[in-house]
Amino acid sequence: MQQTKGLALEIRLSAYIDGELPEAEKSELDALLARDEKARALLQTLRAGSAFGNKAFEDFLHDPVPLALVRQIKQGPGITPRFARVATANLPQRNARVWPRLAAASVVLLFLGGASGFILGSTVNTYVPGPEAAERPWVQEIADYHRIYARQKRHLVEVPASQAAEIETWLASSVGVAFNIPDLSPKGLTFEGARLLVANGKPVAQLVYRDRDGNIFAICFQRNGSSEQPDQFSETIRGDLSLVTWQKDKASFVLIGPSSDPALQDIAQTAAAVI
Amino acid sequence: MRPAADMKDFRRDLVGLLPKLRRFALTLTRDAKDADDLVQEACERAITRSQLWNGEGRLEGWVYAMTRNLWVDEVRKRKVCGGGSMVDIFDEDELSAEPSRERAVYANQLQKMILSMPEGLASAFLLVNVDGYSYREAADILGIPAGTVMSRLSTARLRLAAMLSEDSERRA
Repeated sequence: MQQTKGLALEIRLSAYIDGELPEAEKSELDALLARDEKARALLQTLRAGSAFGNKAFEDFLHDPVPLALVRQIKQGPGITPRFARVATANLPQRNARVWPRLAAASVVLLFLGGASGFILGSTVNTYVPGPEAAERPWVQEIADYHRIYARQKRHLVEVPASQAAEIETWLASSVGVAFNIPDLSPKGLTFEGARLLVANGKPVAQLVYRDRDGNIFAICFQRNGSSEQPDQFSETIRGDLSLVTWQKDKASFVLIGPSSDPALQDIAQTAAAVI
Repeated sequence: MRPAADMKDFRRDLVGLLPKLRRFALTLTRDAKDADDLVQEACERAITRSQLWNGEGRLEGWVYAMTRNLWVDEVRKRKVCGGGSMVDIFDEDELSAEPSRERAVYANQLQKMILSMPEGLASAFLLVNVDGYSYREAADILGIPAGTVMSRLSTARLRLAAMLSEDSERRA
């Protein structure tokens, strides 16, 4: 508790708001506020300042967190985050410097690619896919899909959230996995709808969510046997996207979203509990 | 040395705190780039010293204090490099002058207004009014007397109320 006798009234009233005054001083200020209109007005001003400040500070939490910093903490050292920030205010200037270089590099690469293709084309006539093509993990395909669909403004989903019952029936029968659409609104995510995808030649259900900043998240799942243990969550980062995978019953799940989001694993655990 | 599972939990908790750590760092540095660097250093230090975290109290408070200490070091370094022209805000009992407009470049208008407050005000306000720390706890984090937290808090509230008034007039 703070002794405030003799201090300016605004300091005393500020401590009064915070409940930091001894009982005797609090009673004294209660009496003052009961009889003095100016004191009441000052208290009102201090409270208005508090409310305004709270609102402003809440907005800070929606700023993007430096991507590389999230990666470094999640995965350990070895990355130098200072050189890989989330671009915000400086983006236009950076683009202005980078684009001429990219254009020049593209011309050089086009020339080299054309020349190489001509030389190779004269000796190699057929392409046989390597074993890595068959072994490509399904989550990699999901990440590729996500990069494309997440940019869709008007056609983000095939079936909108308003047809939730239809989505559950349609995708359960298509994918062979019974599920409930998780309500992730307590995590700040709004369900937008769903898509049916194909990965590794199997149908994949994709439930699409959007956060209040417009970032797109998706829960994807396919019927599968997996080496992953049930209830074990594994997170990997692929460029700008982070994927949290888990196994439940006879299905493999992945939550995909921006890798700068620090709460992705928490969201995955919430989704896994109710899906 | 922490067990691997505990270390993973610690890192996960730290990642969850990043938005709040960054916000606190911004109140100290009032510059987005400096804040990101500061958060990075604080997190590296927190991970290195994670065995010292006993799990009692709020992890954010522990990292906040680390962040503040690192910033004090940084300010001192800059003071030396800059020939003593920079004010050490944490040794100053009086608040320094208004920061230059160039420093208030961050995000939206409200954030700019917050970051344009004199040094020390935003941190005290954030810790007590937003994060709910007591004056004593905030004083420990900021390394200043509780009485200074109290006076900075009342000044911050009056400044914010004035900003609210300006904001309302501008919108009208």
